[in-house]
Amino acid sequence: MLELDEARRAFLLRAAMTAVAGAGVGAVPTSLAQAQQHHQQSAAQPAVHQHPPSTGHGAFLNADDAATVAAFTERLMPGAPGKPGALDAGVLNYIDLALAGAYAHLQDFYRRGLTSLEAYCQKTYKTSFVALGAARQDEVIRALETGKATEFGWPRPQAFFNTLRTHTIEGMFSDPIYGGNKDFAGWRLVGFPGAIPVFTTEDMLSKEAYAGKEIIGLQARAPVRRA
Amino acid sequence: MATEKTDVVIVGVGAAGGILAAELAKAGFKVIGLERGPRLATKDFAPQDELRYFQRQDLRPDVRRQPVTWRPNTKSRATPIASQSYGNQAGGGTVHYGAVSWRFHEDDFRVRSHTIERYGRTAIPEDSSVIDWPLSYTELEPYYDRIEYELGVSGKAGNLRGQKIAGGNVFEAPRQREFPLPPLQLDQVGVNFDAACKKLGYHPFSTPRAILSQPYKGRPACAYCGYCQGFGCHIGAKSSTLVTNLPDADATGNFKLLTNAMVYRVNTDNSGRATGVSYYGPDGSRDNTVEAEIVIVAPFIYDAVRLLLLSKTEKFPDGLANSSGHLGKHLMSHIQTRVFAAFDDRHINIYMGPSAQKHTIDDLNADNFDHSGLGFIRGSQISANPAAIEGGPIGTMMAMPPPPGVPRWGEGYRDFFAKYYTRYMAMTGQTEELPYPGQTIDLDPDVRDAWNLPAPRMTYDWRRPNETKRLEFITAKITEIGRAMGATHVWPSGFSPGAPGSHHQGGVRMGANPKESVVNKYGQSWDIPNLFVIGSANFCSSSGFNPTLTIQALAYLSADAIVKSYRKSPGPLVRA
Repeated sequence: MLELDEARRAFLLRAAMTAVAGAGVGAVPTSLAQAQQHHQQSAAQPAVHQHPPSTGHGAFLNADDAATVAAFTERLMPGAPGKPGALDAGVLNYIDLALAGAYAHLQDFYRRGLTSLEAYCQKTYKTSFVALGAARQDEVIRALETGKATEFGWPRPQAFFNTLRTHTIEGMFSDPIYGGNKDFAGWRLVGFPGAIPVFTTEDMLSKEAYAGKEIIGLQARAPVRRA
Repeated sequence: MATEKTDVVIVGVGAAGGILAAELAKAGFKVIGLERGPRLATKDFAPQDELRYFQRQDLRPDVRRQPVTWRPNTKSRATPIASQSYGNQAGGGTVHYGAVSWRFHEDDFRVRSHTIERYGRTAIPEDSSVIDWPLSYTELEPYYDRIEYELGVSGKAGNLRGQKIAGGNVFEAPRQREFPLPPLQLDQVGVNFDAACKKLGYHPFSTPRAILSQPYKGRPACAYCGYCQGFGCHIGAKSSTLVTNLPDADATGNFKLLTNAMVYRVNTDNSGRATGVSYYGPDGSRDNTVEAEIVIVAPFIYDAVRLLLLSKTEKFPDGLANSSGHLGKHLMSHIQTRVFAAFDDRHINIYMGPSAQKHTIDDLNADNFDHSGLGFIRGSQISANPAAIEGGPIGTMMAMPPPPGVPRWGEGYRDFFAKYYTRYMAMTGQTEELPYPGQTIDLDPDVRDAWNLPAPRMTYDWRRPNETKRLEFITAKITEIGRAMGATHVWPSGFSPGAPGSHHQGGVRMGANPKESVVNKYGQSWDIPNLFVIGSANFCSSSGFNPTLTIQALAYLSADAIVKSYRKSPGPLVRA
């Protein structure tokens, strides 16, 4: 798992650097860079839709909003080597698909919340959320969480924060059929084996981690990889 | 437009309505049941999907289509509650429930007189409207026995005809025979809880649950998959009404179920007699009627109260069958307090096995302990279970705030759950709440549902001195249990800001006379003898125990009375 993680992070980082060079922006978070790369590719090759790995979107969010959601949720559940985060799990894809379907009633909640978030960042830092460094992004998120962020009407900043937090948890830990929890990244993070049909007496009485060898989802199965 | 005639019409075929349907159809009555949702089957529950069933509440009413509103007091405006923990399909709440199956204690049926006898009249809060039930445990015991054997409840007796038995619940009321099935498989939650409770002098035991520990009546034993509370059982080992009473009703040939039928009025004639019900059909058509000799109203309490309020007539301007003025009053719920325990030295693997209230102590429930000088009466069931009573990671993260010092998001939050998700357990104090006349259900003047009917509106705030003191006392006791386990972290959940908890009860309470109650002990209206309202709406006090087995026992009691007495001489079963 560790090796795979590092390889993936290296790829993401390369993608980010390419995008940064192309866009001529300062140091930006991975998620923004990826989204920009996607944007540029689309512009250069209008006939071909290329979705970047795991930050995919396209069902509902526009590219700017997708980049913001990706960056925001990654701060809520950040990835690190051996510890998959929102980006690894495809939380953006989960939210994008949910807003086009089960949570269609929250489309304007997201639109307005993201507009307010952007206005607050522009007013306070003279730049957009995605262009802020991680520490500044955390500062913004805390301002939402505590209701101190200005520029919000409806939704209120706490409501917007709470919804993004809830949807991040859903995208990390729901079955992969919903578009997140990619390759069971969330379940691997916390050691949940999924829909195991039978637990034995021995399993139930064990004081150790579950010894099963497979993670089972609604459509996919994968071996448990132990670091 | 559809009009049908039948002997008995039942609104809502859940825990109560399913039993009445089966028992009355077996006795030869022609029965039509109406259900606003679909009728699902075991095969529908194959997807073991926490997002769908726990988080998005697929088996509960959609809060946007079928809102229920709440306000803390009459001065504030009510808003829709965020989640609704009751059923929305045939089988009602028994489809998603955790199947915890308690008999109430003897003193649960006589809270008022028992309290006065032991502590004096002043021990009851002045503003509480608690009354004794019009029936005793002894009267209900044969029906508790019957439903336990019907469902296949797994447990161990703690009081067999007065003889106390270690390992069972020694505080339970005397039972005539052992449970039909032995307790469910012990797990790490039970191991840890039992050891700590015994150290503190309590009497822990495996919670009786209507989940099969062995094959029973052609259904398989539980496989301990863990997708339990909040889910339909994908093998039919959880004894929901879908796999118990409804197949029995079908087998008689006398039962018909109309699904996607939303009843909006109980019809009455000029003499005040109930003549049937009107409902919206699946296509939205309004003029559909079932005419019947007996009308049984058995949905969850919101809809029971709302339906009677919507059915008001000139004779009953304040709601049908409401000459007492008690309709919609004395709402109660279980206020829950949770304490979490997380371990560095062992795994718990909380996601395994039936998830609701796995093991319990009854030492601090009802009046099983001396309340002298405590400043409150009645107690709490204390049980061990996952944070959300469902053990998946989404439920855990939604229901368990991290311990003090750990942030709610970011690296620290991630690392906390990465380490402790498989190493935590929760304990729940499910506290009894006294009824108060100002805790009510009525019709919301502003909010309407998908059928354009006014939403049921709760006016309710549990934060009264008696309830608050009890909750604080119980939280401290549960925290001691967590420490006695040797947990690395022990921390409480905090209390809700006045909103009702789970298991809402009251609104159509039963009583010994028509002045203090809406129905008699059979759920029969004092005003309209061919109208019955049956369910937890009838409860006079809430107990600290889950309500379903008592709802089911009351349904058997009523069915027996209808078959044995009412059929011979239709009229009041209890003289006013």
